[in-house]
Amino acid sequence: MALLETENLVKEFGGLVATDDVNLTVEEDERVSIIGPNGAGKSTLINLITRRLDPTSGDIRFKGESIVDRDPHEVVQMGVSKSFQTASIFTNLTVRENAEIAALAAEHGSFGFKFLEHHDSLTGVHEVARDTLDAVGLLSQADRTASELPYGDKRRLEIGIALAAEPDLLLMDEPTAGMSPEETEATVDLVEEVKQELGLTFVLIEHDMEIVFSISDRIVVLNRGRVIAEGTPDEIRGDPEVQEAYLGGVDL
Amino acid sequence: MSDEPASASETDTSAVADMIGIWAPRGNEVRVVAGTAIILGLFPFVFARMPVLSGLLQGYQSLATLILIWGIFALGFDLLLGYTGLLSFGHAAFWGGAAYAAGVFSQQVSGSPILMVAAGTAFAVLLAWLLGFLSLRRGGIYFAILTLAFAQMLFYMSSSPLASITGGENGFTGVETAELFGIFGLESDLPAVLGLLLGTWLYLFVAIITLLCVALAYRILNSPYGMVFRAIRENEQRAEFVGLNVWRYRLMSFILSGFFAGVAGSLFVIHGSYVPLASLYWTTSGEVVIMTVLGGTGSLFGPIVGAGVYLYVENIVSGGHPFDFIAPFWHLILGLVFVVTIWVFPRGIWGFVRDVRDLVTGGED
Repeated sequence: MALLETENLVKEFGGLVATDDVNLTVEEDERVSIIGPNGAGKSTLINLITRRLDPTSGDIRFKGESIVDRDPHEVVQMGVSKSFQTASIFTNLTVRENAEIAALAAEHGSFGFKFLEHHDSLTGVHEVARDTLDAVGLLSQADRTASELPYGDKRRLEIGIALAAEPDLLLMDEPTAGMSPEETEATVDLVEEVKQELGLTFVLIEHDMEIVFSISDRIVVLNRGRVIAEGTPDEIRGDPEVQEAYLGGVDL
Repeated sequence: MSDEPASASETDTSAVADMIGIWAPRGNEVRVVAGTAIILGLFPFVFARMPVLSGLLQGYQSLATLILIWGIFALGFDLLLGYTGLLSFGHAAFWGGAAYAAGVFSQQVSGSPILMVAAGTAFAVLLAWLLGFLSLRRGGIYFAILTLAFAQMLFYMSSSPLASITGGENGFTGVETAELFGIFGLESDLPAVLGLLLGTWLYLFVAIITLLCVALAYRILNSPYGMVFRAIRENEQRAEFVGLNVWRYRLMSFILSGFFAGVAGSLFVIHGSYVPLASLYWTTSGEVVIMTVLGGTGSLFGPIVGAGVYLYVENIVSGGHPFDFIAPFWHLILGLVFVVTIWVFPRGIWGFVRDVRDLVTGGED
C-alpha cells in the first residue's frame, strides 16, 4: 500500500487551475522530488496535502485513509509533517522550547488537560527534543533565543521542528531557499543524514537541480498544475519534454 | 545483587512522587509562593498603617484589598493577552457576571464567602466556555469586537430585561455576606499583631485567595499549557502544523482567564457588598486591558502591579493627593502615566523592573 496517494486531485482558484488532475503516489521509504517552473503548482500541491487548502475535487489518502475532511493538526498527528519555505519558527522562544513544542504535540497528542503538570515531568518530550536538536546539530545552541540564530540555523531549526513531530512522511518546501552556498551544502548533508538514519519517506520541493538529482529516488515534474513527467533522476534528465517545458532546452 | 537496595529506594522515591503527584512543588514554585506571601503580608501595613510611609502614600485598608482583587482579574487576563496573544475586549462579562452570580447566590442560597466565590467562579467559567466558543471563531480585531459585543449584550440584559433579578440601573443591593466559617466577620479586625499587619479578616481572605491564584497561574505557565500558549502567540500557523489543536488551546486559555476573572468578580462583591451595573460595562473591560498593559504583558506579577498603580491614581490622586489642584485631572494623570510608561518601557512597569534586575545581576536570574 502506498503511503500517500492523490487521486484526480484538482484545485481551482477562480478560473485558474493550480492543480490539474494530479495522481501522485509515494511509497514508503521513497524520496520523491517535485520540480517545475514558477507557478507550476508545487506549493499548492503541498498545501493541499497538508490540508491548508481545500481541494476542488479529488481525494488524498494517507496510509489508505482519506484525509480531505481532516484538520491540518489531525493530518500532522497522523504522521505528515511539513517544513516551510521560510523559517517558520517560534522566534521569541529558545531553540530548545521550539523543539519541545513539536515533541509535546507528537508525544501527547493535539490537545490535553495537563495545565497543572509541571513541564519538568514530561521526560519523553525532553528526550525527543534533545535527540532532534542533536540530529540537526543545534544542541549546543539549545538555550539561545531562536531569533538570534543566523538564517541557515533558523532553517535547520525549522527542519528540526518538523522532525521532532516524529513524522512518517516529511514534506519539505524548498529547504534551501535563501541560503548561502555553504548553508545549502550543510542542509543537503542534513537531509542525506536524515534519509540514512531515520529512513524517512519524504517529498521535496526544490529549485536547485543539483540537490534534486542527488537525493531523490524519483522525480515528478509539474507544469501548469499537471504532471508532465515522472521517473528516476536519469530518466528525467533525458526526457525531451521536460527539457523543453521546464529546463528551457538547456542540456543538463 | 549489590544494586538491589539502591533500586528499592528508587522505587520508594517514585512511589512518594506518585502519591504527591502533580501537587508536589517543582522548580521555583516554593520561592515564588513564599515571596508573594511575604509581600501580601506586608503590603497593607506599609500602605495603610506604617508611620511616615503610609502618610506619604495616603493609602487605606480597603484600597489594599481592592488592589489584590483587580490584581487577580488582570493576572488572569494576561494569560490570554500576554501569553496566548488574544485581546479580549469583553472580560467585563466574566467579572460582572461572577459578581451578579455571587451576589444573587448570597441572597438566595448561602452567604458563606467561600461558597459565594465558588458560585461566582463557576458561573464565569461556564460563561467563558460559551462566549469563547462563539468568539474564537474569528481572530484578531474580529475576536475583540465579538467579545465586546457579547459583554455589551449582558450589560443590556441586566440593565433592563433582567432588572427584577439584577436591580437594573441601581445595581444589585441584596448582597448578604455571612461570616467566614460562620465565625469571623469579614469587616472585623484580625487579633493582635495580625491586625496591625493585615488589618481585616476580609484582607486575609482575599490575600489567601490571591496567593492561591498566583500559585495556580505560575503552575499553568510552567505546564505544557504555558509553552503551547506562547507558541500560539508566536506563530499560530506553525503551532497548528506541529499537530496542536490551536482552537481548543485558545478556548482553554479563554476559559482559564474567565476563571480568574470570576474569582476576582466574586471577591469584588464580597468587598463592596454591592454589584454596580457598571461592572458589566465596556469600561470595565477597558480598565483591565490598561492595567495589564501598564504593568507589563507576558509576566506573572506585572498585571498585579499595573492594577495597583491604576487604582492608586483612580482613588488617591483623584482625591487630591499629593496636590489638591490635580484632583479634577486624575483621568489626565492616568493617561499620562500610561503613555509615558508605554513610551519609556514598552514592556510595562514589570518589564522595566526586569531590565533593572538584569542590569544589576548581569543578566542572570
